[in-house]
Amino acid sequence: MSKTYARRFVTTSAALLLCTGLVMAGGSIVTAGAATHTPGVTAKQITIGATVPLTGIASPGYSEVAKAADAVFMYVNSKGGVNGRKIKYILKDDCYGTPGFGCTGTPSTVTQTHALLSAPVFATVGSLGTPTQDSVRSLLKSNGVPQLFVNSGSRDWNNPTLYPGLFGWQTSYNEESKIFAKYISATYPTANVCFLGQGDDFGSDGLAGLVAGGVTPSDTQLYSVGALVVTQGTSIAPYIARFQTDKCTVVVLDTIPGATDAALGAALQLGFSPHWVISSVGSDPVTVFAPLAAKGLTADPEVGAVSFSFLPTAGSSSAWIPWMRKVLTKDTSQFPGFSSTTTLDGNMEYGIGWGVAFVEALKASGKNITRASFLKVLTHTTFSQTPSLTPLRYTATDHQGLNGGYLVTVTSATSAKPIDGKIYTTDSSSTGPVISAKKLSRGIPSWLK
Amino acid sequence: MDAFLTSRIISDILGGLTNGVIYGLVALSLVLVWRSTGILNFAQGAMPMIATYLGMVVFAHRFGYWPLVAIAIVAGFSVGGVTERVLVRHLYGKPEINPIVVMVGFLIVLEGVAAAIWSTSPRGIPNPFSPIDWQLGGKPIALSPFGVYEIVTALVVMISVAVLFRFTKLGLQLRASALAPEVSRLLGVRVSRMLTLGWVLSTGVGTICTVLVASNFFTGLTPQVMDGIFAFGFIAAAVGGLDSPVGAIVAGVSIGIVLQFVGDFVNSNAIIITALVILILSLMVRPNGLFTKNTARRV
Amino acid sequence: MKWIAVGRRPTITAGLIVVAVMITSLVASSVRDGVAVGVALALAIAGGATLTTAGLREAHPVLARATLTVVVLDVALFATYFFSSVTNFNLAIGAAMSITLLGLSFLTGASGQISLGNSAFMGVGALAVAIWANHHSSTPMVATLLLAVACGAFVGLLLGLPATRLRGPYLAGMTLAFAVAFSAIVNSFTSWTGGDAGLQLPTAVTPPGWLSSLFNAQTPLLRVNTMWLADITIIVTGVAFFFMANLFASRIGRAMRLVRDNDVAAELVGVSLSRARVIAFMVSSAYAALGGALWTLINNSVSPPTFSLALSITILSLVVIGGIGTISGALIGGVIYAYSTNVISWFTQHAGINSQGNLASQLPGIVFGGLLILTMLFAPMGIAGAVRRLWARRRD
Repeated sequence: MSKTYARRFVTTSAALLLCTGLVMAGGSIVTAGAATHTPGVTAKQITIGATVPLTGIASPGYSEVAKAADAVFMYVNSKGGVNGRKIKYILKDDCYGTPGFGCTGTPSTVTQTHALLSAPVFATVGSLGTPTQDSVRSLLKSNGVPQLFVNSGSRDWNNPTLYPGLFGWQTSYNEESKIFAKYISATYPTANVCFLGQGDDFGSDGLAGLVAGGVTPSDTQLYSVGALVVTQGTSIAPYIARFQTDKCTVVVLDTIPGATDAALGAALQLGFSPHWVISSVGSDPVTVFAPLAAKGLTADPEVGAVSFSFLPTAGSSSAWIPWMRKVLTKDTSQFPGFSSTTTLDGNMEYGIGWGVAFVEALKASGKNITRASFLKVLTHTTFSQTPSLTPLRYTATDHQGLNGGYLVTVTSATSAKPIDGKIYTTDSSSTGPVISAKKLSRGIPSWLK
Repeated sequence: MDAFLTSRIISDILGGLTNGVIYGLVALSLVLVWRSTGILNFAQGAMPMIATYLGMVVFAHRFGYWPLVAIAIVAGFSVGGVTERVLVRHLYGKPEINPIVVMVGFLIVLEGVAAAIWSTSPRGIPNPFSPIDWQLGGKPIALSPFGVYEIVTALVVMISVAVLFRFTKLGLQLRASALAPEVSRLLGVRVSRMLTLGWVLSTGVGTICTVLVASNFFTGLTPQVMDGIFAFGFIAAAVGGLDSPVGAIVAGVSIGIVLQFVGDFVNSNAIIITALVILILSLMVRPNGLFTKNTARRV
Repeated sequence: MKWIAVGRRPTITAGLIVVAVMITSLVASSVRDGVAVGVALALAIAGGATLTTAGLREAHPVLARATLTVVVLDVALFATYFFSSVTNFNLAIGAAMSITLLGLSFLTGASGQISLGNSAFMGVGALAVAIWANHHSSTPMVATLLLAVACGAFVGLLLGLPATRLRGPYLAGMTLAFAVAFSAIVNSFTSWTGGDAGLQLPTAVTPPGWLSSLFNAQTPLLRVNTMWLADITIIVTGVAFFFMANLFASRIGRAMRLVRDNDVAAELVGVSLSRARVIAFMVSSAYAALGGALWTLINNSVSPPTFSLALSITILSLVVIGGIGTISGALIGGVIYAYSTNVISWFTQHAGINSQGNLASQLPGIVFGGLLILTMLFAPMGIAGAVRRLWARRRD
C-alpha cells in the first residue's frame, strides 16, 4: 500500500514541478523589458505593436498591410527616426480569430494582445479585423493603451465617450456604401440590386449605408467566415446561384478577398455576369486575381467591377506612388525582391497610408511624448500630408478617420483606375449628403522625402 | 425541354450529383480501409492530398494533365502502402481509440508538412475540361464538361472496384482475408499482403477523388482541400454503413443531392446542419449504417 | 501501514529539491519569480508528504483528496501573486483548458468513448455565459458558470442519446460532424450569438476592492486584473478536479471502466450500458462547457470561430499526450496548452527558422501531430502513465 502512496506522491510532485517550471519558462520568455515612465517609450526607441492575420483565411493580401507600414517605419528609422527615437514594430499573428488547420495552435487575439501589453507597447497601431479588435477594446482601454488606426471600416472605432483611446483610419464601410449608392442610382437607375456581405459589422454597416444612400437591395445575404474556412470558399456559391435566380443586375459585395474570389468564381461557373460593386477591402485586383491565376484562369473576372479607394491608385500621377515604391524597395526584410517592376498592390498602399499617418502624428507630438499628449495631438491636428485622398482629421467627438475617396474601376488583373477622378466625402449619419470635392490632400512632407 | 433542363429542380439534382459522386468516392475509400483492416482512417483526406501535391511537383515541369494524374495515382498507391506498413501495422489488435488517435495525428502532420512546403495558398491544375456550365437559352444547366468528367470518372472507379472484388481471384482473397483472416491464412492467402493492398487501393481511390476535387477550378489544391469533403464523405460512409461499398456510394450521391436542395432552398448554413441531422437520425435507426447486414458482434 | 519506504524518502526529497533548484536557476528571470518557484515547491513537497503520512488516504479518501486540492490551490494562488500578467493570463487559459481535458479524459479513459466534438461543447458554454451576461448582467458569476455547465450537460445529453448505441469510430465521426457544424449553428442564430463576430461581456470581471488594496498604487492594473482572473480560474479548476477525482473513484467510475474494458460483462453484472455512456458523455460535455465559460470570462469576449474542429483535435492531442484517464494528465495537458506556443516560438527563434515563413506557422501543428502519434505508439498512457511506469520500474 505504501508503494502506491509514494508513487502518487511522486507523480503529483513531478506534475507540479513541470507545471511551475513551464510557468516560469513562459514567464521569463515574455517578461523581459524595462519599465519606463511612458510604457514602450525610451530615449532612443518607441515600441508599438499589432495583431494581424499572418496565416489563415484572411492572410492573403491582408498579411502585407502591417508589413508595408513597417517598411515606412524602417525607412523613417534609416533617416534617424522620429524625434530621435527609432520605431520598433511588433507583429503578432492572430489568424483573424479563425484558427483552422492553416494555423493550428495560433493563439487568440486576446492572448496575443496580452503579449503586446507585456512588451510593453506604447500603443497598438494598425491591428486588423472588426471582430478581433472588438474583442480587445476593453482590455486595451482598461490598461490605458491607445488602439490606433484599426484596419477595418466598422463604425465601432468611433466611440470616444466609451473608448477614448480607440481610433479607426479608413473611410467607414457605411460611408463607402453611401457613395456606392449614389453611383448605383445615378448609373443604373432601374437595376435590381442584390447584396452579399460578411456576417458582422462589415456586412451590416455596408448594407445600412446602401439603404441610407437610397438603394435598398432586393435580396440580402450574409455569409459566415467560419463556414468559408470549413468549405474552402464553396459556401459562397449558393448565394450567387440565388442572385442569378433572382435576376440581379447589380451585385454589391462587402467581402474579404477570399470571399470575393469565391463569388466571382461561382458567377463564372454559372455564366452569371452582373455589374459588380465591391468594397475597397475586398477588391484589390492583385489580391483577388492571384489565387484565380494560380488555379489557371487567364482572364480576370473582376475587370469592369466598380470599387472604391481612399488612396491614390498605383497608376495615378500622385507623388506618393513613387515614394511608396522607394520605401518598399529600400526595405529588404519585409518585401524581399520588391523592385521597380513589382506591382504595388492595394494592401501595401493601405499599410503605407496609415504608417505615414502614424509617423506624422508621432512627429507632431514632440520629444516629450506621453500617451495623453499623443492623443491630444491626434485629435487636434489635421493631417493633410499623408497618402490618403482626403485629409485625416480626428476630433474629440469623432474617431472614425478618413471620410471619403474616389470610385475606381478594375481595369486589369493588376490595376484599377478612377472612374471620374472626383473625390466624394460624406459622413456616417443616415441623412448626411455625399459631396463631391476637389483634391484635398497635399503632397509629401519634406522630412520624409 | 430547355425550360425543364434549366429548372431549379433539375439544376439542383445535377449539381448535387456532381458533388455526390465525390462524397461517394471518399466514402468508398473509407469503406475499403474499414473492410480490410477495421480502421476508420481520419487521414483519408490528407494522404491523397500529399499524393496530389507530389503529382503537382512533377507537373511543375510541364508534363501536362494526364501524366500528373498518373503520377498522383502511383504516389497515392505508395503513400497508402507505406502508411500501412510503417504506421498502421502497429495498431492492429489495439483498443479501438488508438488507431483513431494516431490517424488524427497523421492528419495534422501531413497537412502541416504540406503547408510548410507548398504554403496554404491554392494551386490550380489546368485541365482539359471547361468548368463553365453549359447554357441553354441564356440559362445554365448546372452541368459543365468538367462535371461530366467528374461523374464519368467516379463511375469508372466504382465499377472497377466492384469488378475487382466480385470477379477476380485477388478480390476474393481480399474479401476472404477481411472476413476470416485465420482461415484465409490456412488456405494460403497472404493476409498481411492483402491488408496492405486494402490501404493501397483505398488511397488510390482517394487520390483519384482528390485530383478531381483539386482539378475543379473553384476549389484548387490546398493542404486542407479535403477537410470539408472528408466530413461529408464520412457522413455518407456512416449512413451507408462502413462495411458496405454500395451503401457508401448510394449514400454519398443521395446526400449530395439532398444538400444541394437544402443549400438552394434554405441557405448555406443549413447544409452542414442538415448533414449532421441526417447522420444522427440514420445512426439512431441503424447504428451500423443503413446498408449493413446485421450481424451479432462476437464477445 | 508504513507511510513510505523509509529508506527512499530522503532520496526522493533531495532529488526533487535538486531538480527544483536547477529549474529555478535555469528559467527564473528575476529573483521574485525564483522565490515563487521555491515557495511553491516547498509547499508542494510539504503537502505531498502530509498526504502520504498516517494512512489518511486509506481511511478517508475524500478528505485526502480535499486536502490535496486545497494544498495545490494554495500553492497556485500564492504563485499568481508573483507572476507577471502574461504568465497569469496563460495560466488562466491553460487551467480552463485543463478542465475541458479532464472531461474528455474521463469520457475516454473511464468509458472508452472518443469525442471530436469537445470544442463545440466548449463553445456552448462560452456562448451561454456571454448570452446570459448580456441579458442579465447582475447575475453572480457562480450562477452564470453553473448555467453554462447545465447548458453543456443538456447539449451533451441531446447528442449523447444517439451516441449510446454507437461504437468508437461512429461516435468519433458523429462528434466530428458536430464540431464542423457548430459554426453553422452559431450563424443560424445570429441575433443571439452574434454570429462569427461573437459577443463581448458587458462588464469585465474585476477584482474586489480589498484585493486591489493589497497592491501598491504603482502596480499596473493589468497585473492585478489578470491575477484575479487566474485566481478565479484556478479555484474553479480545483473544484472541478476535486469532483472528478471522486467520480473516478466512485461506483459510477468503476462501472464505467468495466464498460470500457468489457461491455458485455458489464451488462451481465447489471450495469446499464446506455446509461453509463450517456452519463459519461454528459459529464464530458459539461466539463468542456465549463472550460469554455471560463475562457469567456478570461477573454471578456467570445469568438465562435475559435471553437473549430482544429481545437477539438488539439484537445484530443493534449489529453493523449498528458495521459488518458488520469487526473495529472489533464493538468499536464493544460500546462502544455498554455505554454507550448512560447516554447515553440522560442525554438523557432533559436533554430534560425524564418519566424514569418511557412514552416514556422505550421510547426505547432506538426509538433502536436507528431507527439500524438509517438505517444499513442510508444506510451499510450501519455506523460502521466510514462512517469508512473518509470517509477514502478525503478522500484522493482
